Amino acid sequence: MANVFAFAETRNGELRKIGLEAVTAARKIADETGGKVDAFIAGAPGVGAHAEQLAKYGADTVIVVEHAGLEKYNPEALAATVAERIRGGAYRIAIFPTSALGSDLAPRVAAKLGVGLVTDVTAVNLDGDAVIVQHPVNIGKVMATVKMTSQPALIGIRPNMFTPVENPRAGAVERAEPVGDPSASRVVVKEVKLGSSAKLDLGEAPVIVSGGRGLKGPENFKLLEDLAAAFGNAAIGATRVVTDEGWRPHSDQIGQTGRLVSPQLYVAVGISGAIQHLAGMRTSRTIVAINKDKEAPIFKIADYGIVGDLFEIVPVLTAAVKEAKSRG
Amino acid sequence: MKIAVCIKRVPDMDVRFKIAPIGNAVDEAGLKFDINDFDSWAVEAALQIKDKDSATEVVIVSLGSDSVQETIRKALAMGADRGVELKVARIPFDGLAIAHALAAELKGGGFDLILFGKQSADSSNGAVGAMVGELLGLPVVTAISKLELAGATGSAKREIEGGQEFVEFPLPAVLTIDQGLNTARYPALKGIMAAKKKPLDVRPAQLGEQSVSVTKMELPPERPAGRIIGEGASAVPELVGLLQTEAKVL
Amino acid sequence: MTVGHGIFILIVVLSLSFFSYNAQRLVRYMMSIGQPENRTDHPLTRIKNLFIIGLAQKKILRDAVAGPLHASVFWGFVVLTIGTAEIIVQGLFPGFTYAAILPVPLYEFYILSQELFAVLVLAAVAVLLYRRIVVKPKRLQGDKVHSGDAILILSMIGALMVSLITLGAFGFALHPDSSTIFQPVSLALSHVFGGLSAGTLEAGRETSWWFHALLILVFLNYLPYSKHLHVLTSLPNTYLANTSGPGVKGAMSYMDLEAEGAEQFGASDVTQLGWKSLLDSYSCTECGRCTAVCPANITGKLLSPRKIMINTRQRLMELAPLATGDFGEFEHHTLVAGEGGDAGDASASAALGNTLLDNYITEEELWACTSCRACVEECPVSIDQLDIINELRRDLVLMESRFPPEIQPAFESLEKNGSPWAFDPGDRAKWAEGMDIPTMAEMVERGERPEVLFWVGCMGSFDDRAKKIAVAFARVLQAAKVKFAILGQEEKCNGDPARRMGNEYLYQMLARDNIETLDRYGVETIVTNCPHCFHQIGNEYPQLGGNYEVIHHSTYIEKLMDENRLPLNGEGKALTVAYHDSCYLGRYNGIYEAPRETMKRALPMMTLVEPPRNRSKGLCCGAGGGRMWMEETVGKRINVERTEELLATGADVLAVACPFCMTMIGDGVKAQGSSVPVLDISEVIAQQLGNQS
Repeated sequence: MANVFAFAETRNGELRKIGLEAVTAARKIADETGGKVDAFIAGAPGVGAHAEQLAKYGADTVIVVEHAGLEKYNPEALAATVAERIRGGAYRIAIFPTSALGSDLAPRVAAKLGVGLVTDVTAVNLDGDAVIVQHPVNIGKVMATVKMTSQPALIGIRPNMFTPVENPRAGAVERAEPVGDPSASRVVVKEVKLGSSAKLDLGEAPVIVSGGRGLKGPENFKLLEDLAAAFGNAAIGATRVVTDEGWRPHSDQIGQTGRLVSPQLYVAVGISGAIQHLAGMRTSRTIVAINKDKEAPIFKIADYGIVGDLFEIVPVLTAAVKEAKSRG
Repeated sequence: MKIAVCIKRVPDMDVRFKIAPIGNAVDEAGLKFDINDFDSWAVEAALQIKDKDSATEVVIVSLGSDSVQETIRKALAMGADRGVELKVARIPFDGLAIAHALAAELKGGGFDLILFGKQSADSSNGAVGAMVGELLGLPVVTAISKLELAGATGSAKREIEGGQEFVEFPLPAVLTIDQGLNTARYPALKGIMAAKKKPLDVRPAQLGEQSVSVTKMELPPERPAGRIIGEGASAVPELVGLLQTEAKVL
Repeated sequence: MTVGHGIFILIVVLSLSFFSYNAQRLVRYMMSIGQPENRTDHPLTRIKNLFIIGLAQKKILRDAVAGPLHASVFWGFVVLTIGTAEIIVQGLFPGFTYAAILPVPLYEFYILSQELFAVLVLAAVAVLLYRRIVVKPKRLQGDKVHSGDAILILSMIGALMVSLITLGAFGFALHPDSSTIFQPVSLALSHVFGGLSAGTLEAGRETSWWFHALLILVFLNYLPYSKHLHVLTSLPNTYLANTSGPGVKGAMSYMDLEAEGAEQFGASDVTQLGWKSLLDSYSCTECGRCTAVCPANITGKLLSPRKIMINTRQRLMELAPLATGDFGEFEHHTLVAGEGGDAGDASASAALGNTLLDNYITEEELWACTSCRACVEECPVSIDQLDIINELRRDLVLMESRFPPEIQPAFESLEKNGSPWAFDPGDRAKWAEGMDIPTMAEMVERGERPEVLFWVGCMGSFDDRAKKIAVAFARVLQAAKVKFAILGQEEKCNGDPARRMGNEYLYQMLARDNIETLDRYGVETIVTNCPHCFHQIGNEYPQLGGNYEVIHHSTYIEKLMDENRLPLNGEGKALTVAYHDSCYLGRYNGIYEAPRETMKRALPMMTLVEPPRNRSKGLCCGAGGGRMWMEETVGKRINVERTEELLATGADVLAVACPFCMTMIGDGVKAQGSSVPVLDISEVIAQQLGNQS
C-alpha cells in the first residue's frame, strides 16, 4: 500500500493547475496499490476553500495550513512545515510541481528529510520497494529511467504531463499550523510582479515570433506584433538583415551574432534560414516556418512549414491562435 | 568578501548523444566537456563582485574525477583565485549525496556567499544548491536573474511563471543563478597562463548515502523530419491543430 | 682656400654630422624599441622586390595619374643625385668636374640626362603641386595628413631643379664658348640672360650654385623631420618587406605560446611590435593609397590603414626619446614630421603611460578590418599595415579578452564543436549522404589510399548554400574519376577565423588537432573549395609542423582539364559572367586566372566581364578577418558595395570561388532585390559535365 503526499501549489490564494496535476499523479499511484492521497495546501487565511476541489481530483485528505505569513511564497516556513508533515506520514512518494516555487521548495524538503529527489519527472511507476521515474537529461536529448529507494521518494513532476482528471474522494480537511514562526524567515519575498506588461525577454519568452527580409519593411512588423499578442507569451525576434537595415533594434537579433535562443515555439516568418540565423535558434523545441520559397533552408529544420505569401497567411494564423487561446 | 562557486563539468549539448554499452549512461567518446552554462554565470557573478572589491576571494569547488581540474582551471582563468576538486570516480546522479560532499567542504569555510548554477545541463535536477544551503543552515535563494548586495543583506529577482519575485535575504547565503544575470567572460590567454599557477587542492569527496540512481538511459524517438503542411492560408487550421495536439505548445 | 670654400666645408661637415646624428637616432629607436625579427631570409626574393617594386616602381604605377608623376620624380632623383654629388664635391674640391674623369660621349650623355630629368621632375612637381593645392584628391585628405609638409617638399624639389638649370644658364651666358647642345634648356635660357653684365651673370651663377648646394643639405636634414623620410627608407623597407617568400604571402607571424617566461601576447604598444613595423612607420609618406582601397574605409568605417601607420610613428616618437634616454626638448615632441607634436603635449610621465592601443588606435578601428590585404598590396613601399592590426587584435583577445561580444559564441563553438557555429560535429558529412563518398577512416580500413583528400570546411559542411558547392565539387571529382576521401567528423575548422580575430591560442588548438589527424592518415595532398582553408593549411600550418600540398579547387579543376580527365559536354549558353576575386585566393596567393580559365574552358560561349576593381585590386566581400561573425553597423555594408559593382557589369551570373564570398555576395544580391544567380565556379563546371556513363 502506497500513500502519496501531493503539494498543491497556490499563488495569490488561487490554486494553480499544476496543483491539480500533482493530485492527479498522486491518485494514480495510490490507486495502483490501494493507498491514500494527502493533498497539502498552504497560504493566507481562506486558502482552505480549495480543499473541495482537491477532493474532487482525488485527495482523500486535505491538509490545510492557513497563516498570514504564508500569503506570499515563504520558502523557509513552507519547507519546515511540509517536511514536518511528510515526516509524520508514512508516504512512499511526495509529489511537488517542477515550477519556480516547487523547484525551490522540494530540494529544501529533501535535504531536511534526508531523502532522494528527482525533479522534472514525466512518468512515475512503482517497482517493489522502489519508485521508478522518467526524467529527461542532457537538455531533453536523453531520457533517463531513475530508481529511487528512499522512503519517501520526493519527485517534482513536469507541468502538463499529468492532465488533471476528476476522481472524487472524501477530502477530509485537516487543519494544521505552520512549523515555527513564518514571520521569522530570513528569506523574504518582498514583492511579486505578475503579468508585467514589460516586453518579454527573448531569452525567456516561451514563444518567439521572428521576422526576416520577407517582411519587406519595418511597418510590416505590425503583423508579427499582432501574432505575438495573440500568443500572449511571445517576444519578437528578427534576423541580422532586419536589424542591419534598422527595421528592428539590434537587441532583437537572433542568431550567431545576436541572441541564442531555444523557446518552446519559434515561428519564423519570411526567414530563409541563413547559417547565422539557424545557429541561434535551431535548438528551439518546435519550429514553424512561413516562407514563399519552398527551397528555403528554414524548411529543413522546421517541424511545420507553410509555403506561401506571409502577408496572407500571418493574419489568418493570428486569428486562429486567438481563437485557440480563447477556447483553451 | 569570500565567495565559493560550485561548478560542474558537463558534456557539450550541441551533439547527438549515444548510449554507452552499460545502458545507463551516455557514451562519452568524442564528447567535449566544459563548465555548465549556469555555473559559468555563477562564476561571472562572483568575479563581478571581485571586480568591484579586489579584496574578494573567489574559490571554485567542483566534484568529479580528475578531469574536472580542466574545468576548474577554466574558472581560474576567468579570474577566480583557487580551486578545490572533490574527487570521486564518477559523479553520482543523487543530488543529496553530492550536496553532502559539498556541504562538508564548505562548512566552516567562512564564505559570505556560496553560488551555484540553477541546474546542470546533464542531470537537470536543479536541486544541489538549495540542498547545500539547507544542510549548512544558510538562507537560500534559487534561480536568480538579478542580484544586488548592500552590506550584510542582498536582494534578488527570481523569474516565476508569468512574473517576477523580488526577494531579500541576509548574508551569508546560498544563491543559485539563472540565465539573464550576466554573460560569462571569455578567459584571455593571459588568464589561462596565470591559472596554471593558482592553487588547486584535491580532496576525496565525502559523498552522502545514495538513494537515487539511473538504471537506464535511452534516446527519445527522433523528432520527425520537418514537413511542409501546405500552401497558403488554407494550411493554417492544420498548423494550429498540430501545435495543439502534436507539439503541445498552444 | 677662399673664405667661401672654408665656409662650405664647414657647412657640409656640420650638416652631415647633424644628419648622421638624427639617422642613428631613428635606427636606434627602431631597433631598441621594436622586437627582434628576422628579415634576412629569401635574399633573392628580396632583391627581386627591390628591383621591381623599388626601382621599377611597379606599385607606384598602379595609380594611373600619380604613378607616372611620382615615378618621374623618383627616377629623376636617382639620376640627379649623380649631379648633386658632383656639385657637393665641387664645393669641397673647387674645379672638380666629371668631365675630367669621364670619356666625352659618356660625359655628354650625363649632362644631357641631368638636363632632361631636371625638366621632367620640374614638370612632374608642378602637376603634383597643382594636385595638392587645387585638385585635392580625396585620398590625400584626412587622418591629420601633412599637406603643408608635402607642399614644402615639392617646392624644395622644384627649387632644386630651377637652380640646377639657372646654374647652367648663367654659366653659358658668362662663357658662351662652353655652351653645349647637350644642355638644351640651359642653353635656351642662357640666351635670355644674354643682355646681363658679366658681374650680374657671375653673381647669378654663384647664387644658383650656393642655393642649390645649400638647399640639398637643408633638404637632407629636413627629411628626418618630415614624412618624406621615405626618400631614405623606402628602398630598405622594400627589401626588408614581409613579402618574404613565394607562396607564404600574408602568413601571420608564428607565436610561441609555450615560450618560457612569455608574458605578453600580441602588441598593445610600439615596444611589442617588431622593428620592421616601426621601419614601416618611418616609410609611410601618407599617400593614402592603402586607405583609398580599404573596404572598411570605402564604406564609411573608422578604420584607415594610413592612420594605423601614422599613429604607430606618432607613438614611437612620443615614447622613444624618453624610453631610450634621449633628452632635450628639441628631440622630444617634434622629432620626425612633427608627429610627436601631434601626439599632444603629454608630460613625460603621461607619455610613458600612453599606449598605441587606445591612446592612438581604437578597438573599433581594429575590428573593422577584413584582413583583405588590399592595403598591403597597394603600398608602393611595401608597408605591412595588417601586421600591426593583427598584433593589436592579438593583444585585445589574448591579454585583455576585449572583443565585440558577438564573436564569443564563435570562439566557444570553435572550441567545443570545431566549427564557428554550434552544429553537431557528427553532422559534418551529412551533405555527402547518398553520394558514395568514403571518409578517410573508411578508406584506410579498406586498405586504400586516396589520390587527394577533399577538405570540405565548415561552410561546406553546415551552410545550406555552401553544401551545394561541396556537392558540385564532389561531382566534378567523381566525374573525373578522382579517388578522393573526406575526413567527415574528424575535420575541424582550420582555425583561420580564430587566428584572424586574434585568438592565437584557439587557433593553435584547432590547427594542432587537424595536423594530428592529417598526419595520422599520412595525408599528402589536400584539395579544398574554401580559400581560407586553402591558405591556412597550405601557408600557415607549416609553422606548426603541418606540411601538405594544398590545392584550391579552381587550380585543381584546371589541372583535371589539362589532363583531359573532365568529361565536359562542350555545350552551354552564351552567358555573361562576372567573377568576384576572393582575397585569400587572389591577394594572399596570387591565384587570379585559374577560376576564370576553368569557367572559360567549361563554357566556350561565355563572356567574362570584369568589375572595375578586379584581380589584385578586387574589393573584399566583407567576410574576412572574422568579420563574418561580427556585426556591421557603421556605414554602408561592404557586401552591398561590392555587389553593386558586380551587378553594374550587367552579368547574367556572378561567379565566386569562396563559400564566404558566396554568402556575402548572395546576401548583397538579395538586398538589391536582384535575381541574378551567384554560383561557385565548381557549380558552373558541374553544370557542364557530360554524360558520365
